Formats: sequence, C-alpha cells, structure tokens
Amino acid sequence: MAESEEEVDVLVQRVVKDINNAFKRNPNIDEIGLIPCPEARYNRSPIVLVENKLGVESWCVKFLLPYVHNKLLLYRQRKQWLDREALVDITCTLLLLNPDFTTAWNVRKELLQCGVLSPEKDLYLGKLALTKYPKSPETWIHRRWVLQWLQKECCPHWAERKEPTEGTHGNAERTHQNERLQRAVQDEMRVCADAAGRYPSNYNAWSHRIWVLQNMAQDSLKVLHDELSSTRLWVSMHVSDHSGFHYRQFLLNALVKELSVARERVTHLSGSDPHRPRQQQPNGDGTASPTEDHPWAAIPQLFHEEMELCTDLIESYPGHETLWCHRRHVFYLWHHWKRENAQGSARLTPSVNHTDPLLGGALVSPAGEAKNIQAMDVDCTPDASKNGGYTQDTKRLKRGPLPPYPGLSSEHSFISRILDDRRSPEQIRFAAAYKKWLDTVVGQ
Amino acid sequence: MGTQVKDVIIKPDAPTTLLLDKHADYIAAYGSKKDDYEYTLSEYLRMSGIYWGLTVMDLMGQLGRMNRDEIIEFIKSCQHECGGISASIGHDPHLLYTLSAVQILTLYDCVNVIDVDKVVEYVRALQQEDGSFAGDKWGEIDTRFSFCAVATLALLGRLDAINVDKAVEFVLSCMNFDGGFGCRPGSESHAGQIYCCTGFLSVTGQLHQVNADLLGWWLCERQLPSGGLNGRPEKLPDVCYSWWVLASLKIIGRIHWIDKMKLRMFILACQDEETGGFADRPGDMVDPFHTLFGVAGLSLLGDEQIKAVNPVFCMPEDVLQRIGLQPELLS
Repeated sequence: MAESEEEVDVLVQRVVKDINNAFKRNPNIDEIGLIPCPEARYNRSPIVLVENKLGVESWCVKFLLPYVHNKLLLYRQRKQWLDREALVDITCTLLLLNPDFTTAWNVRKELLQCGVLSPEKDLYLGKLALTKYPKSPETWIHRRWVLQWLQKECCPHWAERKEPTEGTHGNAERTHQNERLQRAVQDEMRVCADAAGRYPSNYNAWSHRIWVLQNMAQDSLKVLHDELSSTRLWVSMHVSDHSGFHYRQFLLNALVKELSVARERVTHLSGSDPHRPRQQQPNGDGTASPTEDHPWAAIPQLFHEEMELCTDLIESYPGHETLWCHRRHVFYLWHHWKRENAQGSARLTPSVNHTDPLLGGALVSPAGEAKNIQAMDVDCTPDASKNGGYTQDTKRLKRGPLPPYPGLSSEHSFISRILDDRRSPEQIRFAAAYKKWLDTVVGQ
Repeated sequence: MGTQVKDVIIKPDAPTTLLLDKHADYIAAYGSKKDDYEYTLSEYLRMSGIYWGLTVMDLMGQLGRMNRDEIIEFIKSCQHECGGISASIGHDPHLLYTLSAVQILTLYDCVNVIDVDKVVEYVRALQQEDGSFAGDKWGEIDTRFSFCAVATLALLGRLDAINVDKAVEFVLSCMNFDGGFGCRPGSESHAGQIYCCTGFLSVTGQLHQVNADLLGWWLCERQLPSGGLNGRPEKLPDVCYSWWVLASLKIIGRIHWIDKMKLRMFILACQDEETGGFADRPGDMVDPFHTLFGVAGLSLLGDEQIKAVNPVFCMPEDVLQRIGLQPELLS
C-alpha cells in the first residue's frame, strides 16, 4: 500500500460520503458488518448496501478509522474547525467502526443539545453499532443519556403542568409526546432483546433493560407483567444465559414490590381487608384501584409458575448452572415473601381441607408460624376457573388438595429426584450444591 | 446426557513455568509498535493501558525500562480545566482515566506534577445526592465509578473530600441476595463489579457490611474444572476474571476456599511462549491487560518471583507502603 497522504484523504472522504449516502438512500438499514476483503477490488466503493444490510470492505478500515479518529480529535482540541453536518457524518462513521470511543459519543450529545441531531436518529446509530458490537459499554451508556434527554424533551415541565386547564392543543401535544416516549421505550426493549440474542449473557444489554424499566416505564405493573411473559420463551431457548434469567428474577422482585404497594394503597384507601380471599385473577393492567380486587394475591402464583418453569428446564436440559442459580434466587425470594407475609395473616383460621404436606414442615420452627403460612396459601389459591388459565391446577383443585406451592421439603424431594438420576455428573454436582445452599443459607 | 461444561481444556504442552523475561520484553516493546490502526482503536483507553503496562513492569521489577519522563508529560497534558484526566490527548476526561493517571503517578512517586486539588474537586463534584458517582459530567452511574472515586482520593490522601457514608450506602444498595454486587441497584452480580465493590468497602473500612461467607461461596463457584475462574455462571474462564475473583476473595479473607494450584496452572497456560504476554485463555492473542492480571494473579497466589501485589489497588504493596496506605482486608 503505497498510497500518498492526499490519495488517502480523497479515498476516505469519498467513503465517509458513501456511508452517509447509503443511510440517505435507505433509511431502513438494520445491520452493519465488515466484509473480509484484504485488497481493494477494481475501482468500486468499499461500502456495500444489500437489502437492509450495510457492509464495509475490510481493506478500507485501516485508512478510514485513523482518518476520522484524528479528524475528530483535532476538532476536540480546537485545532480544526468542522461544521455540524460534518461532525454528524464523521461521528457516524467513527462510531460504526469503534463504538467505544467515548469522546465521539460525547460530541453527539452536544449535537443533540443544540438541536442538530434528534434523539431518535442518534438512538438509531447506536442500534446499528450494537448489531456488530452488542456488548459495547459506551454505546449503552450513551443510550441511557439520550433516553433521559428524550424524556426531558417529551415532558419538559412535567411536574409543573396543570392538569385539566390546558387547551386542547396542549393536550394533543402532550399525547403526541407521550406516544413518542412510549415508542422509544418499546424500541429500546427490542434493541435489548436483539443484542441479547447476538451475545450470550450480555450484561450490558440486560442491565440496560433493567435501567429502562426503573427509569422510563410508566405503567409499571403492566410493563412488568408483559416483560415477564415476553421473556419466558426466550429464556427457555437460552438456558445458559444467566443474565436473561437474572432479568426475570428482577421482574419477579419488582412485581412483588409493586403488588405490595398496591396492597398498601387498597388497604389505606378503602380500609378493606387485605387478606380476604381473592375473587379473580389480576388482569395485569396495572390499574389497581380500591374497587378492584387484590392484585397482590397473584404473587404466590407468579412464584409457583416460575419454579415450575425452572423444574421443567432443569429436567429437560440437565447440567446448566444458570438454571440452578435461577432456582436459588426464585426460591429465596419466595421463601422470604412467605415469611414476611405469614404474620399478616395470623388471625385467619387455617383451612381444614387445605393440607400441604410439602409446605407445612417447610418453615422455621414455631408451629404457629407454619400454620399462618398455610392460611396465607389459602388466601392465594389460584382461582383458575375464572379466566380459563392454569388448567392443570384447575384439575388438581377439583381433585381436592391444592397444588403444592414450593417449600423446603418440596425442594428437597426435587433434589432427591435429580440425584437419583445419575446420567449427568454436572447435574448431580449442581443439585448437591443447591441442597447445601438450602441447608446453610435458607434453612438457618 | 447433559451438556458439556463451558470451560477450556489445557493442552499437555501448555506452558507450566513463568516466563518473566518474555513478558517484560513484550510490555517494553508494546508501546513502540504503534500500528496506526491498532493504536487508534484502543486510544480511548490509553491511560489505563499505560497503567496496566507500568504496573506489571513494576511487579516484575522492570519499571526502569519504561519512559518515565514521556509518560509524565503525557499525563500532564491529559489533565483538563475541570481537573479530570482523559484517556489521551484530545479525549474527554473521565473518572476511569483519572484513577489510572493517579495510579501511574503514585508508582512514579510524583502525583504533584498534576493539579491534585483540582483532581479532588473533580471527583467530589461527581458525587450524587444518593451517594453514587457519575463517571463524568454526562452522569452515567455505576459502582465501578464509586470505586474509582474512593481509590483516587485514597491514593491522594483526600478521602475526606466526599460524603463517604452516603457513598457506602449506595454501594450497599447494589448488593444482591447471593452476596455479590452489580453495577446499579437490582443489577446482576458480576465478578468485575464485585471487585470494585469489595475494593470500595475495603478503602472505606466497611468490609464488615459484606456477607463474606455468602459472597465467598459465589466467588468460589466461579472456579471451573480447568482451574480458571469465570466472572458469572456459565461463562468461559478468563485470566482477568481470575484476578477479579481472586482479589475479591483475598479482600474478604476467603482466598483459601479455591484450588490455588489449579488456578496457577490455568494462568500459566495462558502465556504465549513465543511473544511473551498473557491471553484471556490458553492459545488466544496476548495483550497488556491480561498480562497484568495474569502476573498480579500469580502474585496473589504467592509466586515469589513477583513483587507482592495489593488486591484492592492492583499495585505493588511496596508502593502503597511508601505512601502509608493500608486498605482493610478481612481475615
């Protein structure tokens, strides 16, 4: 390669232009990639657009990257002036090649602040970068900043707004901005899911998804329920992905908290008895109101289903540490929830026909406490007949005894069953570790 | 039946002895090979790269081979008006590189070549109301940055500049049911974050707040049949995670809970006999980052050819003794 400096200059400027033209030509580009190609072929541009995929031939990267990199640094040191449009183009090329170049993202933050870039356009660039670099920490960090910026843009004086007195125009605008924000949140979930599919146990993608829920989800009960059901299939197909399972642990924990808040509210507002048996399944739309029946009663059902899922996966895919870790956490959350909520139902009489041998002995010593827990479980009887779900449970209900919610003794039976099947040494190792963990951490 | 454990198999011809001279040559030559492309690609973390290289050279007793004056000049030109330090010239300042720069200057015993008061002010201003730290003026929050903040201030002897109680409160809010820590409240436990959080609690003298047995349990489960350690369940073993897990175990006084001999063999197998340096896993490409963590790991495991390393700061113990810094360790 004996290209002179001027030749490189011309070449690189043309390539930067080609990249940006490709985006103008096809606003639906959904993936970027490098095309292995050590030498330039003919006189063709190294930028290849096929359907919605943008490829860069690898031979040009070693010229392209240092050129755009140095250009941006010269600008940053105020040694060279670049107009705003050039900055947009250069940072775009630069970040598609090296998305962890923090300073380039920062330049784009400034371009956003002065209105040259729209948040959506910038999020789009990050999304493309993540198709090739799904872990890139700086891309995720930048996205969080842009999402916060967008949030401010969509609800500028959120706290100060007077509710009904504003004109129709104001309301329409607010609705529009709200929809815009909700679209961004939904998009974000898709970006996370895509990146999670491209790299296993993608910590940055999953912790970003948690951040979005914590910071941007408006109707959190509904969103949490939706997320729980939408990731169920995904984790079943990615049984080694601890981050995906951790996300479900986070969702369960968050749901328990939200539902408990709902309970406080109901009790507070209506003075109703929070321990009254539930009449219907929560509809999960998050509109818990004093008139609606107790949505928190769904909690045992949530845990029950998660433990069943976990059992099913452990038995279908032996030897996955992730699944055993998941079991630990879900059981731990459930165990603590039961303990905390046992006291509240103390005054309820234990149901005579409800005998759960797997639960009864499960909880710590004082006999009274174990009784209370039984009572709590009566509260939480999944009433499947009303919404047509949980047919297995319905059958069991009709047979008589309630489905056993997991307890220490049911966990020990599960472990024994696994230990009896000697086909997978890893499975045996994980089951033994789980037993030890139950004995020392939970059974204290 | 069953799935193969995600692990590596160490080949019988993998290195089993420590090739110190090779590693020193590798690091000494690294900076001089400034291939334009490679150099640009990693410039965004240059300051940390220099810290990795210098620290491993010091641990091997070879710091004298590096160009002290050039490096000090470079650091000076990376300090910004706000007091923060950037990865390289023309890049934006960040806590990550501020810590690396202060570590380098501490190795060279010359922190005063930069404006220390301004560094302290920069770190102080990044603390948020809830006690957490932003990495830079754009506000990203992460327990990594809590560690960077207190480590930087401790090296400068100025830990009193921030609200330590609030900072501790935030880090503890990131503790999980398994005893581990994540990047923010509710995030998954991760060996790198655990290192930052136990290191943070060590610097601030709050290690009694850790559930050492529970965390030690989780950390020990990172050891795989090959002897190497991973950073999370069902990830491959990696020399850098071997360091983060091992250092955390050392900090919480549970290093004897893992099979040290097997880990040593794994780390040694990650050396490249021809080029020098360590890779993440046996047979992969070497780099200065894994070279530091390989050598530092071997030091924690008691290799006497290497200087003793401090598990919290990942710096030679003699350097920390010189400045009178003795972070807390559990026994």
